Amino acid sequence: MKKKLLAVTLAAAMAASMTACGSSSTDGGEGTAAGGVSITVFNSKIEVQAQFEEMAKEYSEATGVNVEVYYSNDTVAAHLATKYSSNDPYTLSMVDAKDVYTLAEDHAADMTGEKWVENTNYAISVGGKVVGFPVCVEARGLIYNADAIEGITGEKFNPEDYATLDAFQGLLEKLAAGGMENPTGIMKEDWSLAGHFLSEVYEMQEDVDGFISALHAGTADLANNAKWNGKMDYFDTMMKYNYAADSAIAAEREVSEQKLAEGEIAFMFGGNWDWSMINAYDHSDNMGIMPVPENTSDGTNKKLVGGGSKYFFIDSSENTSDEQRQAAKDFLNWLVFDQAGNSFLTEKCALVPAYSNIAAAGLDPLSVSVKSYADAGNLIDNYNYLPDDHFSLCGAAFQKYLAGQTDRAGLASEIENYWSSTTPVEH
Amino acid sequence: MKTNTMSYKCRQFLMFAGVTTAVFVAVVIVPFLYGIYLTLTSWDGVSKQKPFVGLANYAATFADGAYWQAMGRTFLYSVIAVVLVNVVAFILAFLVTSGVKGQNFFRAGFFTPNLIGGIVLGYIWKFVFNRAFVAMGNAFSIGALSTSWLATTGGAMLCLIIVSVWQYAGYMMLIYVAGFMSVSEDVLEAARIDGCTDSQSILYVSVPLMASSFVQCLFLTVTRCFMVYDVNLSLTNGEPFNSSVMAAMHVYNQAFTYKNFGVGQAEALVLFVVCAVVGVLQVYIGKKGEVSA
Amino acid sequence: MNANERAARNKKINHAVKIFILIALFVCFIFPFVLVVINVFKTKADITSDPLALVGAHGFTMANFPEAMKKMNFGRSFFNSAIITICSTVFTILLSSMTAFVIVRNNWKVCGALMGLMIASMVIPFQVLMIPMVSLYGGVLGILNHRATLIFMHVGFSLSMATFMFHGAIKTNVPVALEEAATIDGCTRWQTYWQIVFPLLKSTIATVAIIDAMGFWNDYLLPSLVLTKKELYTIPIATQVFYGTYSTDIGLVMAALLLAMLPILILYVLLQRYIVEGVTSGAVK
Repeated sequence: MKKKLLAVTLAAAMAASMTACGSSSTDGGEGTAAGGVSITVFNSKIEVQAQFEEMAKEYSEATGVNVEVYYSNDTVAAHLATKYSSNDPYTLSMVDAKDVYTLAEDHAADMTGEKWVENTNYAISVGGKVVGFPVCVEARGLIYNADAIEGITGEKFNPEDYATLDAFQGLLEKLAAGGMENPTGIMKEDWSLAGHFLSEVYEMQEDVDGFISALHAGTADLANNAKWNGKMDYFDTMMKYNYAADSAIAAEREVSEQKLAEGEIAFMFGGNWDWSMINAYDHSDNMGIMPVPENTSDGTNKKLVGGGSKYFFIDSSENTSDEQRQAAKDFLNWLVFDQAGNSFLTEKCALVPAYSNIAAAGLDPLSVSVKSYADAGNLIDNYNYLPDDHFSLCGAAFQKYLAGQTDRAGLASEIENYWSSTTPVEH
Repeated sequence: MKTNTMSYKCRQFLMFAGVTTAVFVAVVIVPFLYGIYLTLTSWDGVSKQKPFVGLANYAATFADGAYWQAMGRTFLYSVIAVVLVNVVAFILAFLVTSGVKGQNFFRAGFFTPNLIGGIVLGYIWKFVFNRAFVAMGNAFSIGALSTSWLATTGGAMLCLIIVSVWQYAGYMMLIYVAGFMSVSEDVLEAARIDGCTDSQSILYVSVPLMASSFVQCLFLTVTRCFMVYDVNLSLTNGEPFNSSVMAAMHVYNQAFTYKNFGVGQAEALVLFVVCAVVGVLQVYIGKKGEVSA
Repeated sequence: MNANERAARNKKINHAVKIFILIALFVCFIFPFVLVVINVFKTKADITSDPLALVGAHGFTMANFPEAMKKMNFGRSFFNSAIITICSTVFTILLSSMTAFVIVRNNWKVCGALMGLMIASMVIPFQVLMIPMVSLYGGVLGILNHRATLIFMHVGFSLSMATFMFHGAIKTNVPVALEEAATIDGCTRWQTYWQIVFPLLKSTIATVAIIDAMGFWNDYLLPSLVLTKKELYTIPIATQVFYGTYSTDIGLVMAALLLAMLPILILYVLLQRYIVEGVTSGAVK
């Protein structure tokens, strides 16, 4: 009796796994849509995942090329490592600029001579071949909520008037006196502090590569560097007026973004990607991004830092057929030259286009700011060769500073120590 | 029937454990050996070349100060968490087997944390510590709650321990419950007749008879705590200032975030050896205790 | 008489204290779930601004459920998760209990070696096996993206723990005398095992089943490596878009969580009976 029961259970389990197996091998195969080509796209920008999936469906219907879009919340490097180890790479992968440099040599197909290359300033070339397709332009700076400011000062907020730290401090005092006691917020995440803010100290040096080499050699004197002190003076001001001053290190990004969106605070350092979060709250549309205020005459306080962001590369391995590679190239050209592709990038995803022929319509307020700086040539280039552990280790040091556990000299020496003990990234 | 010939042994073993051995070797042992080979290369995880570098990655492991710090931290965390988890689990098991009304309902309640997977669980608790507790602290002006515990180095560790206790106590409770159940009523009855009080009969009758439950629970909690990753990632992500990075997280970062795959893999192996020594030692001691009990 | 009364009163007090402690602990354990349930009916803005409010400023909303269900493709993911969980659990229990039996009852070197290897393997951090595993099964064999492959791996990874638990149970709860009697009655080892030993393991089987089923149902990392095609996604992989490094959509996370929890909760309630029953006392008699 028992035995029978067992046999039945076993048989049922077997059968279930067999059918599971069977069905997966029919619909899980190469899955080509009615003789068409099938390509896979890895999207690493979570805020546009829904838009990407919708677009893929429409694109497949219109062209007969089956597009499948994937996302992973694992680190990009770890995820791609597993995909390459299992010989199952995506046809098109969207990664950060620095990943293109590490992946290109072995895995990226040559896109030199593609039509879109002439229309952009941001393409990435490695070894003389174009391998990286810029998805959009993104820039960092100080996000402001003009409604919140104007509500207190009673006059129109004009960001150009506050390029210097002195003027900016004056404004903050005015806001504080007018009832907004703590007009600023600070993101405590290590990628924001070190990856986005600290890196401006390098990027705004006159000779960036020279400065980085000096850091590696241990000869750069950070404590007496004008740019370092200028940025840290600004940071101290932000800390003084931070709404979460007594627990700066516990401030949650969601909460800070909500306060900024709803005008409880007026300023926070960030980038135009922050719109995807601000968007979720009862936000003001009268917002924008301005350069980080600094008492300097070198002109950097009139520019944002940014450029091409998120790059597509096409897999060059045998796992991808030439037809698939061609389909991927066609898809990229569709994004740049087709009306529908354009509107997907700008209107649906609200990305600042990296291509001169695309007119940007329907951008969000932060992206409008970024585009106007980009069009005027007022973007300082990203430095894409920071070591991979920079944001984490320097970020931790910076968090200590934010929590009041170290002073400026201590932070400077921790950063100097980091650089002198790390190996330079070749480029 | 001859039961000591080689062929009888082979047949018996293959019949009962053959499939298990095959699956186990294929899924665990073979990849593990390949993983050891990878520690001897300076592969970055994505490139096609896997240059052979001998033992260089192990040298790097021993020179990696942050790794040993994380290891020490993991050790401290594990000791505290293991003790608390088991104490709480034992108390829970005792209470829900003592014939209280609605004990099945309570059992289900204590077990519910296991319904949530590791990563999501961390996000939920982060929400509790950062928002709910702070909101409560502000509403009732409780000073200790008004700033997030996750913001201080000690607090972040405390949070990790609290969540671990919450997560594992119900699970270990199940094993202890099974242990309590296996102590037969007759024995307890006999103890009562001999004049044992409740606490005496637990201490001198049930506990020794439950030795195997203790060995299992301790082993499970020790190894789980040593390898904690999911909750570490989603609850603290190593913050503040990388002060709550546990060994497994450091290994992951080393391999993938910093792209030193070989070093990360070597560090993971060292972590494995440490866990194995601690775990096996503990089972060995436990088994000795079982025999003498 | 007097002593009896005192004993009765003590017992009552004892009982009250136990109930009190139980309820206090219960509240602590259940608190996060209460929060989940409260917040799942709010909009994202309300969750952020006041996590404790019963009803948010934007009112009561059910919107999180249909959105979560649609985004995670609930029906398909549920089907995948269910098949994978059931098959993996059944195979794990059958294989591991058999193995534990042969290990406990025989003092052979090979048994000791297998048990030792299994115990040691339980402390291998998964990160060590991750890349080698996909390299072998994907790169060399090319059998990723089948549910059967994932079931195979789930079983492989959970065998050690399950064997370890059955090992303890057989050793302490199954009297050798019963087996000897069966052998005398003419049963082979195989028959003895299925007719005498296996039924005695009911409570351990239930425990292992619930623990493993839970693990399989909630597992994220392994399925995400093995199943990379959308139509094969399990619930945890399908919900990954709700949370990440840069943002967490806590409302959707909570809705998905509640949806995913229900089946496991039902399974637990069903199996609970066996866990509670206890077996040995009945068997010895």
